[in-house]
Amino acid sequence: MIGLANIDYFEPWWMQIAKALVIFGVIFGVLPILTVYERKLLGRFQHRYGPNRVGPFGLMQPLAEIVKFALKEPFRPRTSMGFLFRLAPAISIMTAVGGLALIPWGNVQDIFGTRTGLYGIDVSVGPLYVFALGGISFYGIVLGGWASGSKYSFLGAMRAAAQLISYEVSQGLALVGVLISAQTLSLTGIVNAQRGMWYFIPQIVGFLIFMVASFAETNRAPFDLVEADGELGGGYFTEYGGTGFVAYLFAEYVNMLVVSGMAATLFLGGWLLPFGIHPPGWVDPFVVLAKMMIFMTLFIWIRATLPRLRYDQLMSFGWKILLPLATVNLLVTAIVVVH
Amino acid sequence: MSEVLFFLAAIAAIIGAVGVVTLRNAFYAVLALVCHLVSLAALFLLLRAEFVAAAQVVVYAGAVMVLYVFVVAYVGGGEEVAAGNGLRFLGPLFALALAIELCIALLGSALSGINSQGAHYVLGFGTPAHIGRLFLTDYLFAFELASLLLLVAAVGAIVLARRRRGLEDENPALAALIAQPRPAYTGTMAEGAGVRQVLQALEETHGGVIELGAQPPKLAVGAERSGDEAQEQLP
Repeated sequence: MIGLANIDYFEPWWMQIAKALVIFGVIFGVLPILTVYERKLLGRFQHRYGPNRVGPFGLMQPLAEIVKFALKEPFRPRTSMGFLFRLAPAISIMTAVGGLALIPWGNVQDIFGTRTGLYGIDVSVGPLYVFALGGISFYGIVLGGWASGSKYSFLGAMRAAAQLISYEVSQGLALVGVLISAQTLSLTGIVNAQRGMWYFIPQIVGFLIFMVASFAETNRAPFDLVEADGELGGGYFTEYGGTGFVAYLFAEYVNMLVVSGMAATLFLGGWLLPFGIHPPGWVDPFVVLAKMMIFMTLFIWIRATLPRLRYDQLMSFGWKILLPLATVNLLVTAIVVVH
Repeated sequence: MSEVLFFLAAIAAIIGAVGVVTLRNAFYAVLALVCHLVSLAALFLLLRAEFVAAAQVVVYAGAVMVLYVFVVAYVGGGEEVAAGNGLRFLGPLFALALAIELCIALLGSALSGINSQGAHYVLGFGTPAHIGRLFLTDYLFAFELASLLLLVAAVGAIVLARRRRGLEDENPALAALIAQPRPAYTGTMAEGAGVRQVLQALEETHGGVIELGAQPPKLAVGAERSGDEAQEQLP
């Protein structure tokens, strides 16, 4: 047995490996569909069809894209730092995938006669694990921008540094309200604590702050001035083509999925259904996936709706509005819970 | 398995620490420090202190080092500062003194804790609940003192970084520089977006903004046009 932290594994080793493979396989099966979904939805928002040439309804588009990206000539600017330039996308994608382990897909079930928790790991530090991974994923972006040796990339990376640091604080403070209410850090514990009422209702302020900060953390519109195609030509991944670009793209989508999963777990009751409906255990992962898809649709909808913020607006919004609001929310929650 | 992980993390931590002091490029030195801190977090995990490990990564690698990277990437390494003669001799002396001190501490106390059993472990050790209870009971005084220290540091940072006024009174050259009319749209973002109040303020203080490449007194146009029109005139 590995002496690595207090993770509470009770499954046999083959089940742990199977779980990891299934989670990884399902997510990376969903990812290409998500890219098509985003492009088709964006198209509909803008009165066009979106991709509809490859396969039925354009569903085979990602296959064509992957082949295209894989066959691109690998190149890099003469001013780039070779080692770091190659390492940076790898850091991004690895930290993004690491976050998937934490999403709870369901309660403990009997599978092939073994008790299995339908989650990668259930750590006692819960959301802190995601924040730790987020802290490391920042280096993927900054190293990518710095090692490219180009001004556009560098500006994008520096914006990312300032933006991530500003919004991570608000995101963390918004979570603390939920943690105080649930009185546990374990994510399955938080879901089980929502059996009476989803935290979406009593923690509505925290939920809104969390969602806004999540948009900034994943560099999605309207906080995507890290990428800002119009000004920076793509920001930190301006100089990346082929597989490096795909790694950054997939890292962004996986980050969105992780954030959606966290939001569904912390505020929308995870695998629970409303009105006291108790479906059989195998339905739970689909419930979580459906709730995640709601958030993914929200991500895309807002991208199609809101224009990009200016840099000074982004900073003053984060520090002068979100952070005080999150602090007040935390104080009120603490007072309500104690009394 | 845990032995393999320990040696991997320990070697990475030592390589990172050596890299910090030997690498000439400041950016690479900061990255080596990040590598060192993350390896330390792995060692904490092996000691079953998962909260400390997470805090180590979130606070040090995720927040403190981000600022270091930010500053070093922006300002760059710059020229190397040659150490003075005094520092050149004092540095190794201090390092040696520190090494001796650490050896005394290690040999004197910590070695007795190493045996085949390791330290006593109770269930729930290192969880956030356990640490929180200790903070608010046994170590309350130290905890409050540390938060007070952090508050003082935060206030100090704001006081040090505040905008200082009155510099131009003592320095006539600076005052002349500030009083010079700037070309249009080179100042604040509000001015760039054509906010009328800003343009009017410029008009009052500097006699108007001037268009790039135009004669200063003739084309003091900023205040006459409304904000949107001024924006449209941008090349």
